[in-house]
Amino acid sequence: MIAGDRNPWPALGRVFLALSYVFLFLPLVLLVVFSFQANRFPGLPLQGWTLAWYEKMIDQGTLLPALGHSMLVSPAAATVGTIIGFFAAYALNRFDFPGKTVLLGIIALPILIPPLILGVAFLGLLARVHLNGTLFSIFLTHVVLVTAPALSVIQLRLSQMPRQIEEAAWDLGATELQTLMRVVLPFAVPGILGGWLLAFTFSFDEFIIAWFVSGFDQTLPVAIYSILVASMEPTLNAIGAIVFAISALVLIGIEVLLLPLLFRKDTEEA
Amino acid sequence: MTEASDQPDLELLSVTKRFKGFTAVDEVSLKVRRGEFVAIMGPSGCGKTTLLRILAGLETMTTGQLRIRGRDVSDVPVNLRSTRLVWQNYALFPHLDVFENIAFGLTLKPHDKAVVSGRVKAMADLVGMRDFLDRRIGQLSGGQKQRVALARALVTEPEILLLDEPLSALDAHLRLRMQGELRRIQQALGVTFIYVTHNQIEAFSMADRVVVMNAGRIEQVDTPERIYTFPKTHFVARFVGANNLFEGRVSAVDERHTAVACGHGTVTVTNRGATPAVGETVTVVVQADRMRRAAAGGPGENTVPVTLKGREFAGSQNIYLFDGLDGTEIKLVAQESMGSAAVMAVNASMTVHFSPEDASIIGYAGPAAAPAADAPAQAPAAVSAPPVQAPPPVQAPTPEPAGAAP
Repeated sequence: MIAGDRNPWPALGRVFLALSYVFLFLPLVLLVVFSFQANRFPGLPLQGWTLAWYEKMIDQGTLLPALGHSMLVSPAAATVGTIIGFFAAYALNRFDFPGKTVLLGIIALPILIPPLILGVAFLGLLARVHLNGTLFSIFLTHVVLVTAPALSVIQLRLSQMPRQIEEAAWDLGATELQTLMRVVLPFAVPGILGGWLLAFTFSFDEFIIAWFVSGFDQTLPVAIYSILVASMEPTLNAIGAIVFAISALVLIGIEVLLLPLLFRKDTEEA
Repeated sequence: MTEASDQPDLELLSVTKRFKGFTAVDEVSLKVRRGEFVAIMGPSGCGKTTLLRILAGLETMTTGQLRIRGRDVSDVPVNLRSTRLVWQNYALFPHLDVFENIAFGLTLKPHDKAVVSGRVKAMADLVGMRDFLDRRIGQLSGGQKQRVALARALVTEPEILLLDEPLSALDAHLRLRMQGELRRIQQALGVTFIYVTHNQIEAFSMADRVVVMNAGRIEQVDTPERIYTFPKTHFVARFVGANNLFEGRVSAVDERHTAVACGHGTVTVTNRGATPAVGETVTVVVQADRMRRAAAGGPGENTVPVTLKGREFAGSQNIYLFDGLDGTEIKLVAQESMGSAAVMAVNASMTVHFSPEDASIIGYAGPAAAPAADAPAQAPAAVSAPPVQAPPPVQAPTPEPAGAAP
């Protein structure tokens, strides 16, 4: 506190922070490193750089189509889940109606039920209506799963909206629909984007339910599991590195391109 | 107030709003002329904001009727009303800039961009925000936000502008400036303003008429001067200004004066309009700045013996606190500088004076006390308990004021 009297805590804090980052990111770094190493099993010494595992992954024939399926199902499920989530969040935020808490509970239920049980239940239901074993069935189940996280993020944003700005729009002559489109929706955009990203991640990662309801059209986690069962080889590191790169690119892309577009005038100097 | 020929701009007929368990607005009736600036004043929870929201259409009434320029708008939804509301926290759209905020109400229907732009700029000129049209809301100060909120409402040419404590979030200096601005804008446009506030300085300095509300009811509607000088009810007398209230019983009435026996002796009050009956329990109201501190009162003045309890020097004036004979607190405000104020010991006995002209009489405790009026002059005190213990009628411990003709 007193000048000249050195306080060790900030320095120690920085060390702790650095250790935390290492703890978080070391596995990721190792994954990427070993996807480029000739080693059959991760370990020292390093045996030289190679692209063999990437070639093998491409030759192998199931991982890339599975990645394609995932990139189809997850954005679609995230989008539909976010749309449902937005309207549900708006209704929950705006109105008091009987059964509100019950509805909230029902929406949160898919997150609380163990995915194993949910997967069996979905399989049973979809088999009866002859919708199982396709990408569409994965999409349907994922919509059910990802609506809750999308809703909670959007609801958080909407709860920050002063009720008066909606009233102000009505007072100035706007209809309910005009108010929704011109006031509520623009205000909720950060929440909607955040909700969509969370929903996308939930769906992209999801394994158990997808494993139950998918047939031959597997999503990426299911395909990885199939390979893992057969053999443990560094091709998985390669696919892991690619998945990591996609996620990082999506996030960085949103940070760099989308957010400045949304808030460009906020940061502008007068 | 009495322009029967002119159709009122706004007319409330027995407007009542009941929520579960309590009545927020109770049988409020009011007529407002076109271009009038009316302030609705009252403590928080008196129903003034609910009333304003009913006018805006954001709240429905339980019973009653609302007319704007003769049309019954009771059931017209908020977005089709010709009223605009200005919120206490401005309620500007945070994702739009100043221009887009002001233009919002004009762009809801098919419109000509050039016309909208012209009107927005003209209104921005009027409120002094012309140079800030491309600013984000987050970059504005409180006073600027206030101006934008005002422009956004006024640009749509409302018939009535409703303002809900619009200055309460501003600092004292800015509030004073904006009071002047509001009045100027209101007079420039000739729009009827209904202004809700709990601040009597705002209400008194801007409004043509002030409505004092308490517990959902209108206590008094009058010009600021009359509300200040002649409060009609107990509530108004206590809520407005610094009034001294003397509880007492009417001992005599003649054609010019009414004599009231209270805890400080008998005081006389000049008659105005209806006079109370002899024996009626009443309250005499005297403003603190009408009381004078002197060794002896002028001819015809009321004299009250008091004990000094404290003095406060507030720049241009001294505020004295006394206790009366019966322990009632008496306030006196004197325009005098520090130096000219006499040095006095606390608990010193002295007398203060006021003219019968400066006092007024209000009914004791409303209608409930009315039956007691028939009782003979020296009837025992009514059972209704006043905040201060009702004193036994003191029979003139001081020389009878000359003006009190029995």
